[in-house]
Amino acid sequence: MTFSYGGYAGRYAEVDLTAGRVHVREMEREWARLCLGGTGVAAKILWERTGPQTDPLGPDNVLVVGTGPLTGVMFSPAGRMMFASKSPLTGIWGESHVGGFFGPEMKYAGFDFVIVTGRSPRPVYLLLQDGEAELRDAHHLWGRETGETTQMIREEIADPTVKTAVIGPAGENGVLYGCIIVDQYRAAGRTGMGTVMGSKNLKAIAATGSLPIEAHDMERYLEANGQEMERLRDPLWTDSLASLRKYGTTDLVAIINEIGRLPTKNHWTGYFEHAEDIGPEVIAERYRLTQEACYGCAIGCKYVYRVRGGRFAGGPAGGPEYETIMAFGSNCLNNDIESVMYLGHRCDQLGMDTISCGKSISFAMELWEKGILGPDDTDGLSLEWGNVDTMTELVERIARREGHLATLLAQGTRRAAEVIGGDAWRYAIHCKGLEASGQDPRAHQSVGLTYATNVRGADHLRSLSSLEELGYPEIVIKRFGREKADEILNIMSPKYKGELIWDMENLYAVVDSAVICKYGTMWPPVYYYETFANVLPPLTGMSEWGDVRYVIDAGRRISHLRRAYNHRLGITREDETLPHRLLKEPMPTGPAKGGLPDLDQMLDEYYEFRGCDPKTGLPRRDRLEQLGLGFVAEELATMGLLAG
Amino acid sequence: MAQFLIVDVHRCTGCRNCELACSVRNRNTFSPALARIRVVRDEARGLVVPVVCLQCEEPLCRDACPVGAIVEGVSGVLTVNQDLCIGCGNCVTACVYGGIVLEPVSRRAIKCDLCGGDPACVEACEYGALTVGDSASTDRADRARGMSPVLREYGLVTEVRE
Repeated sequence: MTFSYGGYAGRYAEVDLTAGRVHVREMEREWARLCLGGTGVAAKILWERTGPQTDPLGPDNVLVVGTGPLTGVMFSPAGRMMFASKSPLTGIWGESHVGGFFGPEMKYAGFDFVIVTGRSPRPVYLLLQDGEAELRDAHHLWGRETGETTQMIREEIADPTVKTAVIGPAGENGVLYGCIIVDQYRAAGRTGMGTVMGSKNLKAIAATGSLPIEAHDMERYLEANGQEMERLRDPLWTDSLASLRKYGTTDLVAIINEIGRLPTKNHWTGYFEHAEDIGPEVIAERYRLTQEACYGCAIGCKYVYRVRGGRFAGGPAGGPEYETIMAFGSNCLNNDIESVMYLGHRCDQLGMDTISCGKSISFAMELWEKGILGPDDTDGLSLEWGNVDTMTELVERIARREGHLATLLAQGTRRAAEVIGGDAWRYAIHCKGLEASGQDPRAHQSVGLTYATNVRGADHLRSLSSLEELGYPEIVIKRFGREKADEILNIMSPKYKGELIWDMENLYAVVDSAVICKYGTMWPPVYYYETFANVLPPLTGMSEWGDVRYVIDAGRRISHLRRAYNHRLGITREDETLPHRLLKEPMPTGPAKGGLPDLDQMLDEYYEFRGCDPKTGLPRRDRLEQLGLGFVAEELATMGLLAG
Repeated sequence: MAQFLIVDVHRCTGCRNCELACSVRNRNTFSPALARIRVVRDEARGLVVPVVCLQCEEPLCRDACPVGAIVEGVSGVLTVNQDLCIGCGNCVTACVYGGIVLEPVSRRAIKCDLCGGDPACVEACEYGALTVGDSASTDRADRARGMSPVLREYGLVTEVRE
């Protein structure tokens, strides 16, 4: 099999779990040309194969496992890969990305993509090896935690270098935010991708191989790659990168608290007075053993920790990232960092998203405080803020879906609030059913637009802008012009934020298709569309990607395709909003006190740039056709889902 | 003077860029399986160890080769003559360190030859975990120091406090 474009493994696997059959096919040229890889190709596949009738936890749902041309070819920081499916947590577009070594190994095993359909009659795992794909019995792995599962697969394949993506008990038990754990402690956390695997009786995917990835023109690619690396090595970023290597994302606890954007007490405020207790210095001094990197990465932000004694003793293991520290720390008013490390580790082992899990617990704690939940509703648990005993117990119960409260919280905050009724909805901090990550639009206007428009719900990874958050005037002027710079750089001004977030979404759509890390693009913001135009043609041989306009259009195409996927499921402007607390309750304390986002103003501008009807958020036919999405326009038209 | 690679595991983050750089330099392709340096991970101990030929003064691999395929090349570094190698794997068994392996595609032995004096892996390491040393005693001490956490962690040395 010789695929004509460099940088790709050249194959994908079609896995029909119901029939127990695997077909190996040559990679599609059109996928690469129009959607590059990763999220772009996943959007194409899910658009064609799933829709309103698809039950996210039924055999008809499709799980796409994807890499991109920049996976495993010395571009830094790459080393990432992704999963996409119709989300069981939100019922709409779901995707989750993860670092480590599984993505590159999948390519060396011969596969750019795996498409999983059906439901296996018994537990299985998928082994990808040197161009072949095989389903293997997994009854002995079922029910086991992720670390043990990983170890058993390595021993079974008699290859300690085999890379794995596995689920834990939470995904098997139907917790709606079950995640996929890669290489022991890296998580594709969000939108319940592990639960989709569990519903299909697919315990794991393992990859190992020795197939080479060819470059179209190695010499030119290495030269272009070197030029891009030089941007990262610019002395301007030396201090930032040194900090990332020392603290990783834990540094954000301090930085974000300083601007009053650290979710605290179930997002009540953005300032945590005990942030130092769970901050970067404490972790680096007392618990950090060493720093690690994903495949071929020059940044190396992952840390390994060990807690040497006490009830939370543990490690060496991957340490909790910013989001986990926020979710189990500040947002539950918990300043016991050792408990945060323990809870993060338990979620990894049980295969649960730390953000959705932590936020479901903080939601319950607030309901307890408000008297909406009482002792009769909580199976004997006492839910005061920062009650570490309750938190550790709840995490275990949620993974097992044991008892009334845990079963409720295993569905996420939106559904739990619906069941509880009354005022509970006020404290469910989510967009489109996905619990908010660790930002707050009341301290950073454009985060509001990012949350509201993000195709997977309330988080930062589809379009967060660091440009005004950390202040990079030269970059803002270069990208958006001098006359808009002041307003864009004003973190609390809604002006021009529609254009800013529209552009970020387009950029990250390419980033997530390439598939590379947000470091280097989100922050520090050194890579832009030119980067892809520089490295993709010599790597792949697809000359059209050398045109910056083509790269931008690809970002727009992929963004529209994912949005259309959601429109077809009924998502319109009405759904592109924020939780009541973040939209209507002024920030009560901290440096951002009094802040509120002007969402409508930003949304109007965003829709204008996106080519959508501002009343409904639905796309215009001409815009879709310009981007090669005529087939999308046709289908939306028959459903009455085109603009005006 | 004979050269060798000094690995400092204190600095290594396990990113494995050295493997890719090696496969690009030697085979013009991205394939860690074709690399002559391997990064071994032991998550349970929190260890990441790049494994590469030590350039021994009394090489067991050379003595074990039945066809005399392992010979001194430029600057006194042992290299595998790919035309002579029959892929028997004796050298792999003989090397106690894992510094020589059978390449999965050609089934011939491959080992680090320091790229003839300018190793691609050293250049590719963003963390400064790889350097080139020679027989000078300070370099040998650096090499020993660079690997000390591994020996400690596996209980191969015990520290004596005076």
